[in-house]
Amino acid sequence: MSPTVSASGLSLHYGATRALDDVSLRLTPGVTGLLGPNGAGKTTLLRVLATAVPADRGAFTVLGHDPSTARGRQEVRRRLGYLPQTPGFHPDFTAFEFVDYVAILKELTDRSARHREVRRVLDEVGLADVRGKRIRKLSGGMRQRVALAAALVGDPAFLVLDEPTVGLDPEQRMRFRELIATAGEGRTVLLSTHQTEDVAMLCHRVVVLAGGTVRFDGTPAELTARAAGRVWSSDGRDPGALAGWRTGLGTFRNVGDPPPGADLLEPTLEDGYLLTLDGAAAEVTA
Amino acid sequence: MPVTATRTAGNTPAREARRGVLLQLVRPVARTVPWWALAAGGGLGLLAAALPRLSGGEVTPWAGVNALRAAALCFALGAAFLLDDPARQTTAAVPVRRVLRHALRCALVLPAAAVWWSAAVLLVPEEARPPAGDVTVEAATALALALAGAAFAVRRRGAGRPGQAVAASLLVAAVLAPLLTPSEWSLFTVPGDPRWADAHGHWTLLLCAALLAVAVCCVEPVRRRTLRTLRSPSRS
Repeated sequence: MSPTVSASGLSLHYGATRALDDVSLRLTPGVTGLLGPNGAGKTTLLRVLATAVPADRGAFTVLGHDPSTARGRQEVRRRLGYLPQTPGFHPDFTAFEFVDYVAILKELTDRSARHREVRRVLDEVGLADVRGKRIRKLSGGMRQRVALAAALVGDPAFLVLDEPTVGLDPEQRMRFRELIATAGEGRTVLLSTHQTEDVAMLCHRVVVLAGGTVRFDGTPAELTARAAGRVWSSDGRDPGALAGWRTGLGTFRNVGDPPPGADLLEPTLEDGYLLTLDGAAAEVTA
Repeated sequence: MPVTATRTAGNTPAREARRGVLLQLVRPVARTVPWWALAAGGGLGLLAAALPRLSGGEVTPWAGVNALRAAALCFALGAAFLLDDPARQTTAAVPVRRVLRHALRCALVLPAAAVWWSAAVLLVPEEARPPAGDVTVEAATALALALAGAAFAVRRRGAGRPGQAVAASLLVAAVLAPLLTPSEWSLFTVPGDPRWADAHGHWTLLLCAALLAVAVCCVEPVRRRTLRTLRSPSRS
């Protein structure tokens, strides 16, 4: 399958801080999860791929277009939907007016077709009933859905979502998962998240980023398999474990190199993620 | 839904498509312009321009020109908020170019600014009124510097609301400018001073530089220019 996004050697520094260091990846249709601790470079990578900020070095193409030229970037943006980490709004606009405004910015100039499209995406994100309501009067979860509708308008082939489920309650998060799963049908979605369960439920592929570099690139099953035989249960915290925490049953779940005869447990994606992070996992234990 | 059918840019000549987008953007962009800041700056400016007349007595050319300079500064402080856009992040990756969006905001405000400035000039008694063309260059320079500052903040940091910081910087610069500009520039002369013409040559140069800075800063960079990349410019 030809990749929607093909990136090689992407690097970006903010002063002396290395935000991205030689990142290479290929994204194909479906939902790809981007996992990493705070400061890993996830948002920077998403902003680069969304053409919101250029990289210092490296190259990438989106649907065959090279965004390092003004024309190429414009072509990429015509096929792109971007939901930033902290979406902003014009609070006096209604949900419909705001998404309509973004639709014009996406060059949808046929008014009646555009209005149909805006209604479609607002229906899709479950905001049909409040589309005439001013954004200032919407809840945080609803605003997040307005931002998702703005990203979805124009039926983009490549959707970049930066932590869309942050700050949502469990019900809203479940609703968002459904939306993202639907959005991933037939298009390429890059989803940045801290929630390993989001990745486990939604993604056909996962990339782990830490310190601006790619630490893992594979399927969720492969990431989980990294923890096979490296998760065990004990009555107390095991000092040899990279990470360990008390479970609701009162026993400790440990991740790392188990002692001989340890009571091994079925690994999860989160275990594989923690082991992939290595040093970061050690911080969890501390 | 075949959404691409609604996208006209690919099917029509680029210029026509761009015009169509701009026409449709007029109404929503007009709603996003921070009119409150412009109204506040404009109101204060009119008050400053009217002060010599309100104070009674004879108005000197010195008072007239400085009242208009204060008016221009007030309006420029309001204009520093012109590029404030709380939705900047949400619309960071849309195909309509930033330069067009900024130009549209400026175009929407310009007629009102022209009417306002005419009113400010007329508020100064005729006997104390400085040459309108020259003092308009000064006012335009202040406005252009405010816009250049805002455009720079947007380009450099992607700032959503640079207005407050830019207005504060502009105010500080306006206070320090008479002290820090080279004396041979004589920017803040009064009508009748033999250096008046030379000073307005300098004002014109400043205006051109500020407009150039606005134009450069409004364009979104496709490459980052940092010391690091300049030292080793090879890009893979």
